[in-house]
Amino acid sequence: MPALSGLRLLDFGQYLAGPFGPMILADLGMDVIKVEPVAGDGMRMAGTPFLGCQRGKRDIGLNIKDPAGLDLALRLVATADAVHHNMTKGTATRLGLDYEACRAVKPDVVYCNTYAYGLEGPLSSFGGLDPLYQASAGLEYEAGAVQHGHDPLYYRFGMVDTSNAMLSVVGVLAALFHRARTGEGQELWTSLLDGGAVFSSDVMLFADGTPTVRPKLDAQQRGFDPAYRLYETDDGWIQVAAIGDGQWAALCAATGVADPHDRADAEVRLEAAFRTKTAVMWSHTLDDAGVPNEVALDVDGGESALYDADAERLGLVTEYEHPTLGLLRQFGETINFSDTPGQIVGPPPRVGEDSRQILEELGVSETEMDDLKARGVVTWPDDDYPWGW
Amino acid sequence: MPGALDGVRILDLTWGAAGALGVLLVAEQGADTIKVEPPGGDPFRGYDGYRVWTRSRRAVQVDRRGDAGREALLGLVGTADVLVESFRPGVMDRLGVGYEACAAANPRLVYCSVPAYPPGHRKAGRPGYDALVQAASGQQWEQPGWRPGPIFLAMPVPSMGTIYLVASGVLAALLARERTGRGQHVTTSLLQGVFLYTTQLWQHIERGNATLYGLMAKSHPPGVHQPMIFECADREFLHISVMSGKTPTKTLDEILGVEPLPPEQTAGLLPLQAQNMMNEARQAAFKTRRRAELIAELVANNHIAEAIVTPEEQFAHPQLIANDMVATVDDRDRGATTQIGVPIHLLGTPGGIVGPQPAVGADDTAIWGELGYGPDDIARLTGAAAPAAARGGA
Repeated sequence: MPALSGLRLLDFGQYLAGPFGPMILADLGMDVIKVEPVAGDGMRMAGTPFLGCQRGKRDIGLNIKDPAGLDLALRLVATADAVHHNMTKGTATRLGLDYEACRAVKPDVVYCNTYAYGLEGPLSSFGGLDPLYQASAGLEYEAGAVQHGHDPLYYRFGMVDTSNAMLSVVGVLAALFHRARTGEGQELWTSLLDGGAVFSSDVMLFADGTPTVRPKLDAQQRGFDPAYRLYETDDGWIQVAAIGDGQWAALCAATGVADPHDRADAEVRLEAAFRTKTAVMWSHTLDDAGVPNEVALDVDGGESALYDADAERLGLVTEYEHPTLGLLRQFGETINFSDTPGQIVGPPPRVGEDSRQILEELGVSETEMDDLKARGVVTWPDDDYPWGW
Repeated sequence: MPGALDGVRILDLTWGAAGALGVLLVAEQGADTIKVEPPGGDPFRGYDGYRVWTRSRRAVQVDRRGDAGREALLGLVGTADVLVESFRPGVMDRLGVGYEACAAANPRLVYCSVPAYPPGHRKAGRPGYDALVQAASGQQWEQPGWRPGPIFLAMPVPSMGTIYLVASGVLAALLARERTGRGQHVTTSLLQGVFLYTTQLWQHIERGNATLYGLMAKSHPPGVHQPMIFECADREFLHISVMSGKTPTKTLDEILGVEPLPPEQTAGLLPLQAQNMMNEARQAAFKTRRRAELIAELVANNHIAEAIVTPEEQFAHPQLIANDMVATVDDRDRGATTQIGVPIHLLGTPGGIVGPQPAVGADDTAIWGELGYGPDDIARLTGAAAPAAARGGA
């Protein structure tokens, strides 16, 4: 039985930083119900970013701006252990779904809001997108090596959205643990701004305002220094991580660089040496010399990573059947549990995929369901389903 | 007010970014966290940033290689709820403190392993420094840069994914223990930390098409968000968002004083694409503006933008300050330092910074003493000379 089985979370989020956290909680066994606007999550049109944040959830298509929809939403909250969303500040209160409203129907609920900026403060009422917080945390400055005259560069991995979402996962789990021991629920929040700051958390200022010394990217974006960087070989690139003087000396010896003491000169000679053989040949040579290294693998946009034999065998990738898209393959289990193995239940749901089942659980009759659908309060996929997925 | 993890004891046997920062996320929700190091300390202590990642915990030394060290460690395990370690698969077993041995000493223990590659992976026996996992996983080839080929990621991206898997795995297992009464072995890895950040990029869709994949496809020069970086006067940069959660009171073009493109040229485009088309005119206008003034004007008109700063400049961000994310920590060597605060805000049980990074062996006497070890035993366990007073009494 998975670690979080028996627990239910209502996911009112859209886009990325809202829905990603509940997806991970679903992987850990939580019953996650995505409460989706009848017109669809604002991210659906984007394709892969939507499909990457939704697996393993049940879905009810519900207009919570309609009083009947809000009533159903609160009836669902009354059955839930946690409520999660990324609405901008004030929106949940306007909708009648803030912590106070949820606590009124479920006194021990854990309530989590993932913001762009934060709960209070000068920018707290704003939304924003992932790369802004790569900017504010210094990541874009460093990734582009701006100190060498380049422009800033954003990282392609959307990892500040993910950071915010994962902070919320940690927070919800801590709050659920507290609730399990005391019976008390609570409200919590996280933000994109803080999520970016976590990535620069090794930065520290001393009392006089000077920062800690940190390694800086070189102008060619190959690494930090001659011992910890990418080298171009005859047919590709190899990453070297010669940690400490012993491994540095071993690297120089293995590549025929006579004098390891003049690092700048040695780097030029290393570059020349690496170009004389293939990356795999160098990897074997460095392995024999005890110098940590890896060939930089080109995974063709993820294709070969998703079909890697070890990744398949170890469950690092997963595949399921989607009603319209066929087989869908994504990353699989991120955490393995010996006693309470996780579960990846199935594909990203269509809008309202499970509306009828969820409404039935609330005691809504077939006639009422059809009436609610006719009034646009709820939806489920039918012949006029407007989305391809 | 007690934190959510009040009364939970964590043993941190990790070294490196992923374990240290992963443990910190849990430690600062009220846990009693003990860093367990070899005599002389964790080699990563030489890195100043490690002062942040290993704060809010106590520190003991133990030489794990001998029988006495193993017994002492198993004794400490008996008092703990969680153990986190980041050795290659098999190393802890060889030291006699693998999962089976620890579970025998304490069946309620949550034992979390964080190697670079999962047990059974063909690379599990290889060194797993962050950049090596960047290379071997394919992540470096996925990042476009200023030249073709793989790009070194200055931020340790695999580790920074794994921190969340460590914290989530530990907490999920603690929560399960409330139901089952048992601990268990939780395993994650830097490779899984890589996968965590591929969700928008690495998908195979049997009946996929260009629409599904198009927005996130890798391109040279970099696409999607890169075109919204602009250079202001004095070579200062900012990043503008195409959505702010608000309705702008002026368009970006009105603020910049440039002519908007005629609607027939932007019909059918996403807002992002429409704005990209105007880059040349905009770029020229941006260069005439001072960054701080322009951001203020943008915000006043319900747009949102961020200055592209150096990492150390983040501490001046007014909203980061409002979030209690700029903290003063009295470092034992360096005096008052500015560090990030606690990024998970539980309003009922607020977490907090417990204290600075402890000195190597700071709590040897207190913690080993709790387990009944005297000064001579402690000196042997920690590889230190016995304290003079103790020698005198012997």
